[in-house]
Amino acid sequence: MKLGVILSEAVRTEETYDRLQAEKLSVVLAGNGIYHAVSKKNGKASEVLSKKADFYVLTEDLESRGFTAGDLVDSKIKPIGFDGLVDLIMDQHDKFIWL
Amino acid sequence: MARKLKQLYLVQRPPIKSENPKLAYTHAMASQTAEIYLEDGEEVIPTLAMVGDGVYNVVNNQQLMKHYGLNSNENHVQMALLIDLKVLVCKEDLEARGISADRLADGSALGADMTIEVVPFSEIQKEMEATDQILCF
Repeated sequence: MKLGVILSEAVRTEETYDRLQAEKLSVVLAGNGIYHAVSKKNGKASEVLSKKADFYVLTEDLESRGFTAGDLVDSKIKPIGFDGLVDLIMDQHDKFIWL
Repeated sequence: MARKLKQLYLVQRPPIKSENPKLAYTHAMASQTAEIYLEDGEEVIPTLAMVGDGVYNVVNNQQLMKHYGLNSNENHVQMALLIDLKVLVCKEDLEARGISADRLADGSALGADMTIEVVPFSEIQKEMEATDQILCF
């Protein structure tokens, strides 16, 4: 299964994310989820980024919160716009879930 | 009889998705308009303090208007500074998130004389002890 995940919370309250497995897994950090892409709390990057997956961050939500692509804590995170998100959803994955 | 009521608005959540932090700013600013209901000598003194993920509220260059057509909390903080409200930000929580002082909202763009004060949590603790009411957002 090719699975996409939208993660939109800064403080996670679910455990589903840790258990997810897929042949291809993509994680889109949107909304307050973008803080996982720009913050190193006490010098440590978010554990969200430790998952084996392709990571994306929604540029609109990044900039709305005062950050830019230059603030990303890991080069494996790719900034995308809404058009890129549509491509991910429609063309590259079988299913998308929103955690 | 002269009476001063001190209120501390403690903001703990990030700026967007919840209306909660925005209410802290609007309530703190509106407290000045409450003066019309007060007797001579009575005064409400609001202070805003950002702790935890609340420090994200004062990151500058928030482009919420550009992308979603909404005023950002950066704008609200600037307005609060413009009307001379004291705005405190927890130094430890900024540092823990890797946010430097030069990334903070600047009220001078709107003509504010006040600036955001970056203080250790111990100073915010003192404010909590000295205030009459603490409101958490």
